[in-house]
Amino acid sequence: MAGGDGDRHRAPKRHKSSTPSKAALVDESAEFDYADDFDDDAHDADTEVKKRDFTKLELKVDHASRPLWACADGRIFLETFSPLYKQAYDFLIAIAEPVCRPESMHEYNLTPHSLYAAVSVGLETSTIISVLSKLSKTKLPREIIDFIHGSTANYGKVKLVLKKNRYFVESPFPEVLSTLLRDEVISRARISPEDSLGAPSFTVSKTSGQIASGHEDLLNGMEIAAATEDKETHSFEIDPSQVENVKQRCLPNALNYPMLEEYDFRNDTVNPDLDMELKPQARPRPYQEKSLSKMFGNGRARSGIIVLPCGAGKSLVGVSAACRIKKSCLCLATNAVSVDQWAFQFKLWSTIKDENISRFTSDNKEKFTGMAGVVVTTYNMVAFGGKRSEDSEKIIEEIRNREWGLLLMDEVHVVPAHMFRKVISITKSHCKLGLTATLVREDERITDLNFLIGPKLYEANWLDLVKGGFIANVQCAEVWCPMTKEFFAEYLKKENSKKKQVLYVMNPNKFRACEFLIRFHEQQRGDKIIVFADNLFALTTYAMKLRKPMIFGATSHAERTRILYQFKNSPEVNTIFLSKVGDNSIDIPEANVIIQISSHAGSRRQEAQRLGRILRAKGKHQDRMAGGKEEYNAFFYSLVSTDTQEMYYSTKRQQFLIDQGYSFKVITSLPPAEEGPNLSYYTLDEQLELLSMALNAGDDMIGVERLEEDSDGKALIRARRSAGSMSAFSGAGGMVYMEYSTGKGKGVQKKHKDPSKRHHLFKKRYA
Amino acid sequence: MVNAIKGLFISCDVPMAQFIVNLNASMPPSERFIVHMLDPTNMFVQPHVAHMIRSKIGEFRDQNSYEKPQ
Repeated sequence: MAGGDGDRHRAPKRHKSSTPSKAALVDESAEFDYADDFDDDAHDADTEVKKRDFTKLELKVDHASRPLWACADGRIFLETFSPLYKQAYDFLIAIAEPVCRPESMHEYNLTPHSLYAAVSVGLETSTIISVLSKLSKTKLPREIIDFIHGSTANYGKVKLVLKKNRYFVESPFPEVLSTLLRDEVISRARISPEDSLGAPSFTVSKTSGQIASGHEDLLNGMEIAAATEDKETHSFEIDPSQVENVKQRCLPNALNYPMLEEYDFRNDTVNPDLDMELKPQARPRPYQEKSLSKMFGNGRARSGIIVLPCGAGKSLVGVSAACRIKKSCLCLATNAVSVDQWAFQFKLWSTIKDENISRFTSDNKEKFTGMAGVVVTTYNMVAFGGKRSEDSEKIIEEIRNREWGLLLMDEVHVVPAHMFRKVISITKSHCKLGLTATLVREDERITDLNFLIGPKLYEANWLDLVKGGFIANVQCAEVWCPMTKEFFAEYLKKENSKKKQVLYVMNPNKFRACEFLIRFHEQQRGDKIIVFADNLFALTTYAMKLRKPMIFGATSHAERTRILYQFKNSPEVNTIFLSKVGDNSIDIPEANVIIQISSHAGSRRQEAQRLGRILRAKGKHQDRMAGGKEEYNAFFYSLVSTDTQEMYYSTKRQQFLIDQGYSFKVITSLPPAEEGPNLSYYTLDEQLELLSMALNAGDDMIGVERLEEDSDGKALIRARRSAGSMSAFSGAGGMVYMEYSTGKGKGVQKKHKDPSKRHHLFKKRYA
Repeated sequence: MVNAIKGLFISCDVPMAQFIVNLNASMPPSERFIVHMLDPTNMFVQPHVAHMIRSKIGEFRDQNSYEKPQ
């Protein structure tokens, strides 16, 4: 085992650059080389280069001036250096799913869902094909044209409309409705208008009987429908509780009549208007305008999801949408802090009167008065299934009975599907807008959002926003901290398998690197630093040792607010330690450095969300533009103990950001050797003391902190290695937003034990 | 009288040395292979274990590296 092997071990990691994930252009003859990015030399089989033959594609004469390559399998590659990049990008983002977007070459994928989204923002099949063929360097392959035709033929034929608190399925084509009604799920969900005549055998004929009065004949009706944009349509009513199932049945993988949900808010005279306008100083940026124009394309509001990086001004998009619709708006956030922030954003950007906006959280139950208004609350409050206090029961009843113009949902990626279902079944809204920065989940549940909310309307390119100076230019770095001899010896022991995490997090070299970075940024640059640690033991130990304030699940709302206020305003407090409660929605515009010492296994979205905490642009606008004074104005460090599982997780976590075009720099020599005794844990004795502390930490401390809203399925499976924190068990951690502690409920449940597990002495008694 | 043993000299970084030590310790006493630990990064082992150590280390580092699914 020569020394060289140690290097070989690390070599593959250095490939983590921002080269396009799969494709590299070989030459102008339209041939792609599918070099596997991760050619780990340990697997010789993997280094085989997969080649595909594209020689059959016909290259256009003026290919050099066209920006993209379209392959028969639906993949599209876009050259970002093309003069037509901007136009091509706007078009591609509407019709295709971005896969990987590094600096010079983007990869996109055409999927049925992305085409569904394209049609729902108003693009027609013929337009999609003609524009795509105009932009493509090669003649469009037959397969792609067929695919687009096949996927878009039925889009937009069926609409879901909410009228007077009842849901209707509308279509200008009665034959489409009868096709839908032939489906079992949909016909069961249908509510017959004429109850007395309702016999199942008449379903089909009744569909045609439902043609709104005034139709002389079918053909004529269709012409009118086409001419006046569905002024006269055919419809049937469906059961509100079945809406989601009906929508799911209509998706491309089932009946293939995806429903459009549009809200004609200008002509809605039933629901009272809300007097709110955007304040003149609120000037949406170009990409915010663009995302809004996708939503309000034809003067109506469409349901869907808008994806913008954290810090790019999602709240302004939300508030603007509410201001355009001017109806009652229900805004859902993930926790109480972000409820406060949303309420503040509404007041900041719009002219809404104070009495029209109310917050509804467990500590803050503001009644709303008036005919229309904005209510800001959390998902938990709405979806909560247990018994509520009288006050909140009244408010929920009010929420349930109201017909909402806009349902604004923040951070849609975090909310588990079942909670969405509950929320959507409780609240009736004309239009749903989901906002998120990271449309990834480890459990691949993200596609559920397609029928729960709607298609993705817009997704911004991170690097373009960085270049425009709208978000901070972040230097991402992975700091490799070698394990010390003693810690690694313990790490390898079988009996410590449950303590692996605490061992690699508490690695003294990591602590020293962290301490060095904090000191460097505080003293040399005057930065504001957030340190993230998922591991409670590490969080408390680091924070105590370095004497910095910390926030975790059990920290009360009041104390959180106080610490955050101090961090924002006091020159004394420049570093705070956060557990994963800080991942989402806590808005800390001042921070520009993140140091991550432990993380939630391989969750890509956590990495992106954490990066998002520092993305909000700082400093003068011109300095931030390309070529400005500062190359980087924010720093994201991820401290990783080498040779441990952390290396695996760390690489996995970075994938999302790498796909967005970020590259991670690897730093191996931190802290510098000359720092020696200036940092903690320099001597072996100190290190050993830390080791014994880590090994003796209670099981409740070493695990990953678990919060109520935690449900990122798969990522957890490998990571969950012990019980959660004590506070979580006692109902304190993450339960603070709930109405009741679950203590009572648990007591009752425990009495019904499985009889087979009963002690034999008691078995007799119950037998 | 000089006593010579044929063996293999291994030089590696501290964590890998610990890995090999741990591997050695997990073996039944008759199969232990470390002849002498020279210092934290150098050791002297039985000549026949080179392949076994290589494959174990390969396995260990595969566990710790992530490959993007295609």
